[in-house]
Amino acid sequence: MGMEQAWLIPAIPAAAFVLLLLFGPYIPRRGDWVAILAIGASFVLFFPVLLDLQDAIGSDPEAFQGGGKSWEWISFEGFEIDLGFFVDEITIVMLVVVSFVALLVQIYSVSYMRGDPRYGWYFTVMCLFTASMLTLVLADNLLFMYAAWEGVGFCSFLLIGFWWEKRSAAEAAKKAFVTTRIGDVGFLIGIIMLWDKADTFNIQEIIEFAEGGGYDETYLTVAVLALFAGAVGKSGQFPLHVWLPDAMEGPTPVSALIHAATMVVAGVYMVARTLPLFVVADPIALDIVMAIGLITIMLSATMGLAATDIKRVIAYSTLNSLGLMFVALGSLSVTAAMLYLFVHGFFKAMLFLGAGSVIHATEKQEVSELGGLARKMPITALTFLLGTLAMIGIIPLSGFWAKDEVLVAVEHEQSTAAYAILLSSLFITGLYMTRLYILTFLFEARDKEANHHAHEGGLLMALPLLILAVPTVIAGFVVFDAVGEALGFVGGFGQFVWLEEPHEFEFHTDIAVLSTVLAGSGIVVGWILWQGKATLATRIRDTLSPVAALLSNRYYIDQVYQWAIDNVILGISKIVAWFDRVVVNDTGVDGSAGLTYFAGFGLKFTQTGRLPNYALAIAVGAIVLAVIFIGYEVGVN
Amino acid sequence: MIPINHFLVLSAIIFSIGMYGVLARRNAVLILMSVELMLQAVSINFIAFAVYLHPEQFTGMIFAVFVIVVAAAEVGLALAIILRLFRNRQTANVDEADMMRW
Repeated sequence: MGMEQAWLIPAIPAAAFVLLLLFGPYIPRRGDWVAILAIGASFVLFFPVLLDLQDAIGSDPEAFQGGGKSWEWISFEGFEIDLGFFVDEITIVMLVVVSFVALLVQIYSVSYMRGDPRYGWYFTVMCLFTASMLTLVLADNLLFMYAAWEGVGFCSFLLIGFWWEKRSAAEAAKKAFVTTRIGDVGFLIGIIMLWDKADTFNIQEIIEFAEGGGYDETYLTVAVLALFAGAVGKSGQFPLHVWLPDAMEGPTPVSALIHAATMVVAGVYMVARTLPLFVVADPIALDIVMAIGLITIMLSATMGLAATDIKRVIAYSTLNSLGLMFVALGSLSVTAAMLYLFVHGFFKAMLFLGAGSVIHATEKQEVSELGGLARKMPITALTFLLGTLAMIGIIPLSGFWAKDEVLVAVEHEQSTAAYAILLSSLFITGLYMTRLYILTFLFEARDKEANHHAHEGGLLMALPLLILAVPTVIAGFVVFDAVGEALGFVGGFGQFVWLEEPHEFEFHTDIAVLSTVLAGSGIVVGWILWQGKATLATRIRDTLSPVAALLSNRYYIDQVYQWAIDNVILGISKIVAWFDRVVVNDTGVDGSAGLTYFAGFGLKFTQTGRLPNYALAIAVGAIVLAVIFIGYEVGVN
Repeated sequence: MIPINHFLVLSAIIFSIGMYGVLARRNAVLILMSVELMLQAVSINFIAFAVYLHPEQFTGMIFAVFVIVVAAAEVGLALAIILRLFRNRQTANVDEADMMRW
């Protein structure tokens, strides 16, 4: 068992999906244990792959080109497509996040989804999602990756709309699917453009082809930006970020797995895998990645200040984190992006599962109806606090190390403006995460009834929270040599995942102090504003009511899109519909049918039924043909 | 040897007589007889050309025999139809047999 057998990792959940789909209702407990065992098996199989990878890397990390296996899929004369699985350092980081979080979320779901009429279906789709996501991670070529990419998008659609009886859930599922699809079209165009010249879908071969100067620079820039459009859609970056907050209509474990830890970071992962192409392309491509990341950070952080739904606030913080990852990629630091992705998967999943605990206990999602839950739910409150502090980036929690890597990368590579925007976002992150924590867990309960009945959700819900709390605290230490060595990658994270050359971890005291001061002041200001009855915050909101309205209406971006859909797209659709109805249908289809009908009506009178008429017609026809033929012969000769 | 034109003219005359009969006659039996004339005119053509163009082959003769066989079968079928028509309508006049029109 090693990298060559990595295909087993997605194959096992896929097999479980087929089993549950066909025989789910006949399996005891609706097959939840099948799903958990399958995903557990994937998680266990991750370790031999990791060991094999470490053997292969050996003492010379610079020479290692990744391992795996591929098979011939389509083979024509001069046209071949291989499908295969590929393992390298970036893959392995993504793999551990996906399989570990998926396993914990499944265990949590047993308790969270208990009694749901579609309990079995939930686990069936979760299996399909896990299989697709693992395939996406392990795919060695863009076409295969695209198929898995659409697979996870489809599962996301099914799970956001899991409670489709609720109209808002059905709408949110549709919105997520359509919005990400806009980006996916770009992704597909990018894949076709890259394939057209390189004649291969294999990512490594495409990168080699590009580095060998195979692409024209402008052509490659357009192609990588098209790839990036796919990432923008999937990872909820501006301007396609609108679907992610709405996606919170799905069950909370789904939000934890799909819309925090795994699927939404697929865009980051894809860009990280193809980042060498961005290097070869015009620098404008990386600048666009950077700019989109920064815009998303600022938009989501400020929107998070005004959101009132506990899950939506976390969703905005996810957008914020995804923006940070793209900023890291824009600064060419795969190390920082993947480190953030790695630790984010744990603490964000934990935040969502904590929110799920709160919703499970109180059946409330609006923070205005929560409050004072810390006494009732100590485990949730404690783990949520750790997650909040990790998100804000307080030393020594995992979020701090990852965020500082991003800051170092930006400070080295980018303009002061980008660096300043990033720093200011840290303050806002501190502000809204503190607000969320205070309003949910501290001070007086605003809904006494709900608070009175609140309780922890039992062992199966508490256990994943506690397990996730461990990496939330310590995962950041992988930057250090000692921890890295214990986990098998000598020299720390920077020596393991890198783009141009491995680098050792350096602790930049100035940056660390600056970011801690900003994040800390965010917490302090947040505490002052929202403590007690939050009078200060209310007063500020009333004074700055236009700003508050702007934020709580999410910068009116959704409204602008709605307006554009209603006026522009439906307007064009009306013209197309008119064309279809009048020209295609009435003239083309009905017209030809009508022509036949009227011709038949006119010509039927020639069918007299009298033999002499037919005989005459035959004779005259034969004579006419003969005359034409003879005339033609005479004319030719 | 008699020139081929003689045969062709004979054939054309018989064919024209047959065609006149088909177009001008109203009695179904007479029309049938006229059709037979046209068929035999064609047979004459076949044999004439066969003898003049490929005397070593029998293609034309075989075709003529086929035409005769088909004509015989056709007569049997057509007379049966005419008989049924007469039984039903008490006439063999094709002008009165127009029940197949629109």
